[in-house]
Amino acid sequence: MLDIWRHPTGLIGSCLLALVLGAAVFGAVLAPYDPQLFQPLARLQGPSAGHWLGTDQFGRDILSRILHGARATIAFGVGATLLGVVAGAVIGVTAGVVGTWVDSLIMRTIDGLLAVPDLLFTLLIVTVLGGGTGHAMLAVAVAFTPGMARISRSAVLSIRTREFVQAATARGESRIYIMAAEVLPNSVGPLIVEATIRVSFAVLLGATLGFLGLGAQPPSTEWGLMIAEARQFMFRNPWCVAAPGIAIAMTAMGFNLFGDALRDVFDPRGRR
Amino acid sequence: MNAAYLGRRLASMMLVLVIVSLTVFAITLILPGNAAVMILGEYATPDQLRVLELELGLDRPWHVQYLGWMGKLLAGDWGASMRLSVPVGGLITEALWRSAALAAAALAMVMVVAIPLGIVAALKRGTWVDLAISFFAYLGTAVPEFVTATLLLIFFAAPDRGWFPAGGFVPAAENRLLFLYHMCLPAATLSLILTAHIARQVRSEMSDVLASDYVRAARLKGLPERTVVLRHALRNAMAPAVAVISLDVGYLLGGIIVVEEVFAWPGLGRLIIYALQNRDLPVIQAATLVLATVYALSNLVSDLVIAALDPRVRYA
Amino acid sequence: MSAPTMPDTARPVLDVQGYSLTYATRTGPFEALKSIDLSVMRGRTMGLVGESGSGKTSLAWAILRYLPANAREGDGRLLLSGEDLRAKSPGEITDLRGRRIGMVFQDPSTSLNPTLTLGRQLTEVLVRHRKHSMTQAKAEAEALLARTGISRPAEMMTRFPHQASGGEKQRVVIATAFACNPECIIFDEPTTALDVITARQIQDLFVRLQEDTGVAALYISHDLALVSRIAHDVAVIHRGAIVEKGPSRQIFATPREDYTRMLLAAVPRPTVRLVTGEPSPQAPAILRLEGATIRYGEKNLIDRLLRREQAEVVGARDVSFALREGEILGIVGESGSGKSTIARAIAGLNDFSGTIALRERIFHARREIDRAFRRNVQIIFQNPDGSLNPRQRIRDILARPLKLYDLVPKTGLDARIAELLEQVRLPRDFAQRYPHQLSGGEKQRVAIARAFAAEPQVVLCDEITSSLDVSVQASVARLLVDLQTRTGATCLFITHDINLVRQLAHRIAVMHRGECVDLFAAADHAAPDRHSYTRLLLDAVPNAAGA
Repeated sequence: MLDIWRHPTGLIGSCLLALVLGAAVFGAVLAPYDPQLFQPLARLQGPSAGHWLGTDQFGRDILSRILHGARATIAFGVGATLLGVVAGAVIGVTAGVVGTWVDSLIMRTIDGLLAVPDLLFTLLIVTVLGGGTGHAMLAVAVAFTPGMARISRSAVLSIRTREFVQAATARGESRIYIMAAEVLPNSVGPLIVEATIRVSFAVLLGATLGFLGLGAQPPSTEWGLMIAEARQFMFRNPWCVAAPGIAIAMTAMGFNLFGDALRDVFDPRGRR
Repeated sequence: MNAAYLGRRLASMMLVLVIVSLTVFAITLILPGNAAVMILGEYATPDQLRVLELELGLDRPWHVQYLGWMGKLLAGDWGASMRLSVPVGGLITEALWRSAALAAAALAMVMVVAIPLGIVAALKRGTWVDLAISFFAYLGTAVPEFVTATLLLIFFAAPDRGWFPAGGFVPAAENRLLFLYHMCLPAATLSLILTAHIARQVRSEMSDVLASDYVRAARLKGLPERTVVLRHALRNAMAPAVAVISLDVGYLLGGIIVVEEVFAWPGLGRLIIYALQNRDLPVIQAATLVLATVYALSNLVSDLVIAALDPRVRYA
Repeated sequence: MSAPTMPDTARPVLDVQGYSLTYATRTGPFEALKSIDLSVMRGRTMGLVGESGSGKTSLAWAILRYLPANAREGDGRLLLSGEDLRAKSPGEITDLRGRRIGMVFQDPSTSLNPTLTLGRQLTEVLVRHRKHSMTQAKAEAEALLARTGISRPAEMMTRFPHQASGGEKQRVVIATAFACNPECIIFDEPTTALDVITARQIQDLFVRLQEDTGVAALYISHDLALVSRIAHDVAVIHRGAIVEKGPSRQIFATPREDYTRMLLAAVPRPTVRLVTGEPSPQAPAILRLEGATIRYGEKNLIDRLLRREQAEVVGARDVSFALREGEILGIVGESGSGKSTIARAIAGLNDFSGTIALRERIFHARREIDRAFRRNVQIIFQNPDGSLNPRQRIRDILARPLKLYDLVPKTGLDARIAELLEQVRLPRDFAQRYPHQLSGGEKQRVAIARAFAAEPQVVLCDEITSSLDVSVQASVARLLVDLQTRTGATCLFITHDINLVRQLAHRIAVMHRGECVDLFAAADHAAPDRHSYTRLLLDAVPNAAGA
């Protein structure tokens, strides 16, 4: 695991993640102001000693709001990804293990589902379920499921052709033993890598839903929503959109870089 | 390229579209809150719902509903928008062309910038040029479209500068220059993210090819570096890169929804948001199907391009 | 078998003097080449023999000035006809590669560009170095291809690599290397990736072209027997240093160094039998195959409609033979001949039609094969890196068959595992290790121990020595024979190495294109009733010089 910090990407990714996770854990304590505190006399101020990142249209401290929003953002990204990964893995592993026409049918269906862009898929589901953070998270998870199913299936299949699995089959091991002891422990690596990178997509999708008013609702400190709310004031104080934008980018980039470094550690041969 | 290959590709594309149509149908009609609820809202009375359900034929079995809907679609009857009271067909076609113009502009920018960037990064692997391009590529994929769009607006469309319009649309037929002028910022937003992603992929494919045995063999034949890169490496790196670009059309179609919303570009994306917000079912269904068709077609085209680039596929 | 011609009295074409090379790695510097002295005269072939990791390929890259970024060159000179290659500019090197010094690579399927026609890849050298016009180059290329024994050169020129066979591709690569009449050509294991018969043809082609052109050749190989046949001089390289060099005959007849002797001893010699005694001809058949046919690529309806067409392939057709109790039956054949397919079907990994019988139990399909059968028929695979689960300790790997077949009480598990490790001559404490902490040969020993742990009646060995180094191969083969003798298990030994199979099998079956074309006692290999394909195979492999 220490190898991760040898990669420059891994190092930068870890630093970004540490920063964002730190904000998620300690944000509420570190925040200099109450994120919902209206200060009508200090509206739309630029960065100053009192407000490091300035204030928004209600005079709320932007830094405090970003620190408070970190937890929701991380929870959203990780939660949605976990749900999607578990659902996708179950479907993909089933397809890979059962094989025959069941596999073909599942895979063709997944091809079809993947033809709908992630964002549109998510929007459709949110519309059906209704907005709000919980529903948005579920929608992102559903949208991730087909892609994760395909990846877990190919991970399982590539392990299944390895000779130690063949040896187990030849030995007369049960299907369940082969899956649990031989195949799954060796396919978690690629799945963890993919999941880590997907968290960054989930964060971006969550922010986009917040921005479109279909995810988190006011007065949430969700970063996408912050940008949407401050948009009409963006020319008066660019900081109220730039700061949450940078926060989103840092989070997404952190997970992305970290995931890429993990891939290199798990599979030193792949140079991607 | 043989007819059987094309035939199989077309068949699997058809299947994909059938599955998409089933999904759209399922999402809009079967999941909690059926179409009647979607149209009337959560506070409709049971009686109102009942009437509308009968009117829409929601009491029939699902497969009958589905076949009826598909039959109409295939016959060219796309229904009428529930809110705008105009035929969906015309609405979609008009929006589709506007979106297509935007997407084409973005893709063109991407091709011209991303592919050379990726190649340069691979050739200069490990140098600061590579690092800078790679950093930009990571950054680009980490910033969502709406943030890029907003930042571009702040820089280029602030009222005191006014270099570019903050949004809106002028039909090309009316004023070609103004049409292009309005397209600049949205197209730039879309292409930034795609450029980042595609440059990264091209770099990775190109690095793999440059490390291959046959490129080494070409160098050891004494061919000049220029020939090695252009004749031996590029073609082999392009086939997988094209596959990635066609997958990125999926991102592009998603991104276009947000970008059109931010820049008030009256294309398919904006139409979809409008339809979703207003629960305009026929429009949602048609627009989703159209987007999926575009995506499936782009995959088909990319397969054909790959077949043209790679003789192993061509003669398979 | 060319007699060494009179060496040129002039200076050598290729002259390596005191050359050293180090790679900077994470764990510190790695000395790849230590003060190498080597020279090749015009008209001579120098064989450079060593095991993997010995530095033999590094030397080729150094001569061609194609070193990775982490290479650090030490002292020494690399001279081509007296000119120091290290002093040349990158431009001069590019101009010299392919024109004055050529190279032939190990695997023609990766060293040819898949998107260019074979003709294009040949003519581009002529256009570049001999300033031919395209028309001239084409005519010249056809002549070159004809010289390498390609029957319809013009047609071959229009093909893409995937449309040509391995042998045809390697001929194109060789034609390219000879295209500009270079002073020196480096051959890096040019026949290792090819089947035996094709390999033999390519080796003969090499000898003929080398004699015709008088090129100075550096022939890199791990195969001593082969090198003894085609090289005038031999240098043996071990851990980056040349341990012995001299005329081929001398090295093989009177090796001076221990390492050379060890390498020579490791070369399978068919005359030196590893097995002692024969099972009695009356021994009952323990495993019988009757009309076994194995097909690949059967598809379900959905895939048939939508996925790429892939013809159903017959892996093995109508194969019948019987293993007698206590014997080692060897199966030889080229890759794709169906020999592994047979083993996989017997191990219950492939569907089959026909019957497979273990003593009196008869099986008609894969699904009938049960755990009792599987316990008695164990399989060992080719690749030791793949056949051990990387996430399990050796202890768990060896314990699995013991637990599965309920062979040892729980309390006796560790003692039995220690015993198994000892049987395959591994230290007991290996039980606590993970596979990646073992060498290839050690891993293969663990795989063998796992198979014998089940106390099987039949052991299927599928190319178990092929991915190991020569010296390790020999010890693994000896170990297997030893275990087989001690346990009395019957063995099916699959290999492409005819010399090896003649050493350790009682009887030999020959597979060709999915069919078993010949089956004979090892001693009868030269009998007049041998199948013509068997003779072709036997003639294709070189015997070690002096053997």
